[in-house]
Amino acid sequence: MAIVETKELTKVYGRGDAAVTALRKVDLRVEPGEFVAVMGPSGCGKSTLLHLVGGLDRPTSGRVALNGQELSELSDDALTRLRRREIGFVFQFYNLIPVLKAAENVALPLVLDGVSPRKAQSQAQLWLERVGLSDRTDHRPDELSGGQQQRVAIARALASEPALILADEPTGNLDSRAGDEIATLLRRVVDEWKRTVLMVTHDPRIAAYADRIIFLKDGTVVDEAHLAGGNDGAEKLVRQRMEDL
Amino acid sequence: MSYYMRLALRYLWGRKLRTILTTLAIAFGTMLIFGMNGLVPAVEAAYRQQLMQAASQVDLTITGETRSSFPETALDVVRGTPGVAYVSGSLVRPVVVAPADAPVLPDGSRLGTIVLSGIDPETAPQVRRFRAVSGRLLQPGDGEVLLVSESLARKASLEPGDRLRLPSAAGVATFEIVGVIAGEPGAISDEVYTPLPVAQALLNQAGRINTIEALVAPGSDVQAVREAALARLGSGFKLGENQVGSELQAAVEMGEVAFNLFGVLTLAMGGFIIFNTFRTVVVERRRDIGMLRAVGASRRAVIGLILTESLLQGVIGTAAGLCGGYFLALGMGAIVGPIWSQALRLSLGGPVFKPATYVLAIGLGIGVTLVAGLWPAVSAGRVTPLEALRPAEGEASWKPARRRAAFGLALVVVAVLGLASGNLNLASLGAVLFLAGLVLVGPVLVRPIAGVFGRLLELVLAQEGRIAQGNLARQPGRAAITASAMTIGLAILVALGGMTTSLESGLFRYIDQSLGADYLLMPHSMVLGGGNVGAGPELAEAVRSVPGIAEVTTVRLAMGRIGDTDVQTIGIDPESYPRVAGLEFSAGDPEEAFAALAEGRALIANGIFSAQSRLQVGQELTLQTPEGPKTYRVAGIGMDFLNAKLATVYVSQENLARDLHETSDILLMADRAADADPAEVRAQLERIAAQYPAFSLLSGDEMREEYKQMYGMAMRLLHLLMVTLAVPSLIALMNTLGINVLERTREIGVLRAVGSTRRQVQRMIVGESLLLSALGTAFGLLGGLWLGYVLVGALNATGFKMSYFFPYGGIVLAVAVGLVFGVIAALLPARRAARLDLLAALRYE
Ligand SMILES: Nc1ncnc2c1ncn2[C@@H]1O[C@H](COP(=O)(O)OP(=O)(O)OP(=O)(O)O)[C@@H](O)[C@H]1O
Ligand SMILES: [Mg+2]
Repeated sequence: MAIVETKELTKVYGRGDAAVTALRKVDLRVEPGEFVAVMGPSGCGKSTLLHLVGGLDRPTSGRVALNGQELSELSDDALTRLRRREIGFVFQFYNLIPVLKAAENVALPLVLDGVSPRKAQSQAQLWLERVGLSDRTDHRPDELSGGQQQRVAIARALASEPALILADEPTGNLDSRAGDEIATLLRRVVDEWKRTVLMVTHDPRIAAYADRIIFLKDGTVVDEAHLAGGNDGAEKLVRQRMEDL
Repeated sequence: MSYYMRLALRYLWGRKLRTILTTLAIAFGTMLIFGMNGLVPAVEAAYRQQLMQAASQVDLTITGETRSSFPETALDVVRGTPGVAYVSGSLVRPVVVAPADAPVLPDGSRLGTIVLSGIDPETAPQVRRFRAVSGRLLQPGDGEVLLVSESLARKASLEPGDRLRLPSAAGVATFEIVGVIAGEPGAISDEVYTPLPVAQALLNQAGRINTIEALVAPGSDVQAVREAALARLGSGFKLGENQVGSELQAAVEMGEVAFNLFGVLTLAMGGFIIFNTFRTVVVERRRDIGMLRAVGASRRAVIGLILTESLLQGVIGTAAGLCGGYFLALGMGAIVGPIWSQALRLSLGGPVFKPATYVLAIGLGIGVTLVAGLWPAVSAGRVTPLEALRPAEGEASWKPARRRAAFGLALVVVAVLGLASGNLNLASLGAVLFLAGLVLVGPVLVRPIAGVFGRLLELVLAQEGRIAQGNLARQPGRAAITASAMTIGLAILVALGGMTTSLESGLFRYIDQSLGADYLLMPHSMVLGGGNVGAGPELAEAVRSVPGIAEVTTVRLAMGRIGDTDVQTIGIDPESYPRVAGLEFSAGDPEEAFAALAEGRALIANGIFSAQSRLQVGQELTLQTPEGPKTYRVAGIGMDFLNAKLATVYVSQENLARDLHETSDILLMADRAADADPAEVRAQLERIAAQYPAFSLLSGDEMREEYKQMYGMAMRLLHLLMVTLAVPSLIALMNTLGINVLERTREIGVLRAVGSTRRQVQRMIVGESLLLSALGTAFGLLGGLWLGYVLVGALNATGFKMSYFFPYGGIVLAVAVGLVFGVIAALLPARRAARLDLLAALRYE
């Protein structure tokens, strides 16, 4: 069974003359253990797609299912629980709660889920170690670099052991070296820790880390590419496709 | 510690200054309510102390229903009741010892009021146990000798053989202390005992007593005997000791209500600030909240977090307020205590905090915070996870809503009804509702008012002024809520200013009117019934015979009872009193009223009593007297200064003697002949006064000056309190201006990017702040003037007659405060706006 499945997913913002169709009948399947990147020009609906899949927003029509569970059937509380347990988010900005230390930020989803503070803390420690930040656990977000903050965010997304990680431009705010580090980390998330990653990005170089790339234009899926490893060729290929769009 | 608690603490800690200032507002309100309510019982206790006899172990205690005296013959009636074994009568009264004669106490002050009991040396020991600790007990045939209670002896270092001078109807009497007796357990007052005939002479009450105590024969049913004795006595008697009179209760309650009004307004202010702050908090943290929601915090958890924060502040603020209130009560006690012991010859105990006071203060402090935090918390709960990722859109919920304005208007109407009800409690609720209504109506008025002030501002700040005005007009709801912080602060300031000005001038008029004589022979306690010993007719005669004295009038006092109210019944001479002193009438014609008093059983009621009992001129009232019920006609409503706070009626001295058996003068006033030599007259009067230590001679001018100074000081204290009230509104203004800047971070970034200088941005923010505070000041002035006017009306309805005085000073002050606050409040946000990192601001999507 696909971990993510959308059927004729449509999202219209606003009403009447001001209505904007951000997504138009998008059908998408993501299999467990896949690393999928979504690309497309600005305003094509990438973030909208991610929000709908993550249950952050409700579609105008069409369906989203996670592990076969229909999201539209869930109440706000049930959706919240689902986000807590099944999904990890990584965003471009504003990822961390500024008054909490790195470890506390990572422990947040666990604590929200009622895990004992001690256990949550040790789990947070473990994940911070895995993303290479074991020496930064007691720092506040404003004491960390952008790349470090993003790694904390990834640790947090993984802490509750969710099956699916959703990332919206996780490298958009970083320089190319830090961006590569984050992309490599996401690759490890899939390879080492067996999670599924759905990532939105502008950057062909980052997209090239994925197994599969979905191209979006004006709210519809226009193309798809499977990459078979070998980064250099992949990047060139992606650039080519982007220019075609 | 729970995770939320930690998160809440971290957030609060991250904004230390704001947290402290907000918490302070709650602390301040709680402090006022707690402190003042703690002081009230101490005041009550001080009165009660002198009016309550030591609770005794006897089977049967009977007193006059009106607390007045009755003939000794009543003793025989009780003695003849089957089942009664022993009976003794006594005359018990508080007595103010003249300061010159009073022993010095360990704390350096002088003994003030003691309770004097005239007892029968033969029968008293039969009903009560008297045990001499040193010296002896009273014996038949004793003259002017005293027993003192052990506690008083210790306190004033008295022992057998010492002498004590007490004021008497004939001037002064010297007593020899013959014994110290063990106090009854629980006795709180400073008691002395003397033979009954001596006490009767001292108090000008020959043949009269006011307390009967009896023991029941073994085997009899105590309750049945009590009832039988009471039945045989007929009307005018009751079981039990004399208790503090309800006439005093009214005055104390009024003071309590006034302070509560003040405290509630302060707390309302505090609540508003909390509300304002948490609105800021929710806007500031929309992204944090969205992020929390995205990673799995439920709506309830988010609401809980915000409520936890406000609750924390409420708890801390309330706790600080309780501490502050305790010290406020102590401090006020320390300031008021000496004034009291001087003016009233009563000692004020420490503050007493009853459980109800705790409940009130804690309930209000925490309750207000919770209520104020609720709306922001719920709106935080509505923040969707998407908002963590979306550009700031400004606050949609603060658009001017007609419905909200209509609701505000309705609130104002309800408030007016409350204020017009004449009930101070309802009026204070009305005041709060009024301000709330004003805040809701505000948004509709923003545009026109901003237009007017904006034009003014353009003259000063040119282009930036216009931008500032545009910013306000674009978000009238937000502007109104910001300005409302100012509005409420200033409205309270101006209203209280108007009220105190009116109160002050009202009081001064009373002083001039009723204490207008050239000379006054004043008792030591300003509460006439508070233990002052009156003088016999010789004193008035002596004053009258001084060459150069044109006219003398005297005031006498007894306690009466009308319906359920104990009333001070003041006997005046209807002829001379209006010529030397006078009453301030609010109903009825003065001349006709005094004439009616002279003609028969008629009375003039004072304001507080007539308001309590809703009296009308011409109405008939039944006065309970030892002679049975007597019908009096209300001839007018009027009051004097000394008795303005107590339920009082004025009758002729003739009727007072006939119905209440009181003939001693407690206050004398005299006017000098036009051609007399002041120094000569004064010297003569001094000589007379020296023989009556219960009185001190004052010239009218001196005394009026003294009172005015005293009240002036009290008013200044009140003004100080009012100014402290303005501080929280500054905090609120700063907070909301802070949000303004925050919500427009990006806009400011763009302004800077397209070439606005830092100075220009700063000027724009200052311009906005000035506009906002101008709005707030305008609303505040309007609301405050009106509120003050109505509050004075409400006070009038409670019987304290005064006219409204326009607080010119208050208005000037308010405008100045408004302007200064406008600038101060803008400084921080303006700096922040100017320092804004350009890139960060633009990225702030
Ligand atoms: N809340 C909203 N209200 C109205 N329109 C919206 C809203 N959010 C997005 N849109 C519109 O929907 C379309 C898709 O937006 P979306 O944010 O999904 O684009 P995107 O592909 O993520 O763009 P970018 O690469 O610039 O982030 C755009 O035209 C956008 O203007
Ligand atoms: Mg996007």
